Amino acid sequence: MASLSLRNIYKVYPNGFNAVKDFSLEIEDKEFIIFVGPSGCGKSTTLRMIAGLEDISKGELYIGDKLVNEVEPKDRDIAMVFQNYALYPHMTVYDNMAFGLKLRKVPKDQIRKQVTEAARILGIESLLDRKPKALSGGQRQRVAMGRAIVREPKVFLMDEPLSNLDAKLRVQMRIEISKLHNRLQTTIIYVTHDQTEAMTLGTRIVVMKDGVIQQVDTPENLYQTPCNLFVAGFIGSPSMNFTDADVIQKNGKLTLNFHGHEITVPEGKADALKPYVGKTVVIGIRPEDIHDEQVFLESSKESIINAEIRVREMLGAEIFLYFDIDTTTFTARVNPRSTANVGDTIQVAFDMSKLHVFDKETEEVIFN
Amino acid sequence: MYFGKGCRTMISNQILQDTIDGIKAITRCELCVLDMDAKVLVSTMNQKPDFTDVVQMFIHSPAESQVMHGHHFFKVMDGKQAEYVLTLKGESEDVYLFGRMAVFQLQGLLEAYKERFDKDNFIKNLLLDNLLLVDIYSRAKKLRVDVAKKRIVFIIETERSRDNSALETVRSIFSAKGRDFITAVDEKNIILVKEAEPDETYEDMNRTARVIVDMLNTEAMAKVHVAYGNFVNDIKEVSRSYKEAKMALDVGKIFFDDQRVAAYNSLGIGRLIYQLPMSLCKMFLKETIDIKTLDEFDDEILNTIYKFFENNLNVSETSRQLYIHRNTLVYRLDKLQKMTGLDLRIFEDAITFKIALMVARYMKYMENTDY
Repeated sequence: MASLSLRNIYKVYPNGFNAVKDFSLEIEDKEFIIFVGPSGCGKSTTLRMIAGLEDISKGELYIGDKLVNEVEPKDRDIAMVFQNYALYPHMTVYDNMAFGLKLRKVPKDQIRKQVTEAARILGIESLLDRKPKALSGGQRQRVAMGRAIVREPKVFLMDEPLSNLDAKLRVQMRIEISKLHNRLQTTIIYVTHDQTEAMTLGTRIVVMKDGVIQQVDTPENLYQTPCNLFVAGFIGSPSMNFTDADVIQKNGKLTLNFHGHEITVPEGKADALKPYVGKTVVIGIRPEDIHDEQVFLESSKESIINAEIRVREMLGAEIFLYFDIDTTTFTARVNPRSTANVGDTIQVAFDMSKLHVFDKETEEVIFN
Repeated sequence: MYFGKGCRTMISNQILQDTIDGIKAITRCELCVLDMDAKVLVSTMNQKPDFTDVVQMFIHSPAESQVMHGHHFFKVMDGKQAEYVLTLKGESEDVYLFGRMAVFQLQGLLEAYKERFDKDNFIKNLLLDNLLLVDIYSRAKKLRVDVAKKRIVFIIETERSRDNSALETVRSIFSAKGRDFITAVDEKNIILVKEAEPDETYEDMNRTARVIVDMLNTEAMAKVHVAYGNFVNDIKEVSRSYKEAKMALDVGKIFFDDQRVAAYNSLGIGRLIYQLPMSLCKMFLKETIDIKTLDEFDDEILNTIYKFFENNLNVSETSRQLYIHRNTLVYRLDKLQKMTGLDLRIFEDAITFKIALMVARYMKYMENTDY
């Protein structure tokens, strides 16, 4: 049983810097949970507090039913994989994987059993006699993972383990880690600043900013129903388009006016926006929810705007069109059959069912 | 198999055991090594043999080898002094030959260990400035230490004392390159004198430091701070790099306490402030920003200030990184100006502010450490 319970956790450094604030989270047994956020948001600090490598300033941390605030890292039944790993150059793969266990004075037979099993899980049995210099980048990464697996921990903590790999290997290892979780059936807490990595790996994602949890949800929900402006902007690549808009009531309908453009709010969503009539809000629309297809334009007359294309990026399966609305650059992800070219002024329409509106002051979502 | 307690020399019992196990595997002879008090240190036999009386007699005799009670006995010499007694089961000529070869092997080990021990001592004395210049070069020559190499000193401070795993881990990362020296100065501090390649930079050293931190975190599961000095190109300057690393460790804890790696060459003005007398610090704060005002800053303001400095007073980049609107940042900076009279967008004011923050932090640190 390796559930974790983080209750109102704080990390305050002696200089007064509050790195993590009131962090509360329940992590289920066997869950693959991701902490994501920009650098300095407190995700690594939180992970290190779980590991016992940072003291918890305030709050309680439970692993299973046990309060572990004062428990030494080695006694927490966890294993870590960090960004800057090294393999012991003069040791074989077997010895590299066995080293941590030897330090803990585990009997030789037990070490052999655990290393062999970890090597089998990772598919590196044939490499056990090799020295690190005879391994490829991916194989080395697997050995580093193996060092954590041999400990047979209740919880794996991974802090940007793929950051030092090249892009291709990173994608490959991402798949490996996902498979590994299925095979090991253990709780994994994974820290990354890369939202793509977070979206592809986790069953649940914790988005953090300035030491505070912004939203905890599945990848789908984070993408489709972000709870605030930060999450909306952070999740998704290219990121969501934002602009300020005035809420106007006209002929019994609500419209959003921005930089000379006017779009009508769908009736089902107008109620949430009524308190904002006469005020300015922030509207957000994802690049794939801006369309230039004729069929869509005909059915979405209430949200059509004219756009002069500044940049066109052909990516094969899709095209990114960049256009300016006043001083704000918008990105549209359109069908590769689109004929829009740089300098053309075309009509595009927002998919109003996918429009996100945020309170300008609190930055909280008004509706998704 | 039996591991005896204690050992007069610096060869570990583990090494001795591995050695006689290896010899047994080749010769199929049972072996046993005893110290000069006739205590069994290591043995290939399952039961601890009792040779106390015989061995004591042998030790006091002038003979280098003897056959008694169905065993060959040999003295393992370190120079003119006997260090161990080796016994082999059997009285045949072959056993005698195996014994001679085993003695040769153990004496070779003693020699190698002595050299390593001497090197360790040499480096410790070098770091602590305990050697005369002339001695440095003569001892370096004797120990075959290259004097004109690019070197750098790392200090690795672990929070868990009386635990060898951190030292073992560091040794295992670097010992393959026999040119690096690793020594534990006390229960918490490990020193690594690393020989660098001519083209290695401080960025490479930073990467090395990060590897040490992450490896100690994951393997030894120890909390750790790593600091390093500047490169030196002559052995006599190694102590300078050590002192720099030591200062980096202290200054790092004061000004960069959320970071685990501190480099002497990136301490910046922290290095200067660290050496200021407290009276001067108090005076400076009195004349610039009241320390009480600094205490009033909330997390949001502090975070904004740090990010603004990090981004070289660039409003657009800071607001982007803080995920706030540019105008929100401008509003916060205006608010700060009202509180302190300093406008962080102006370089001069920013410098004063930065120094004031650091001085305040230094004073707090010194107060907390019973200055």
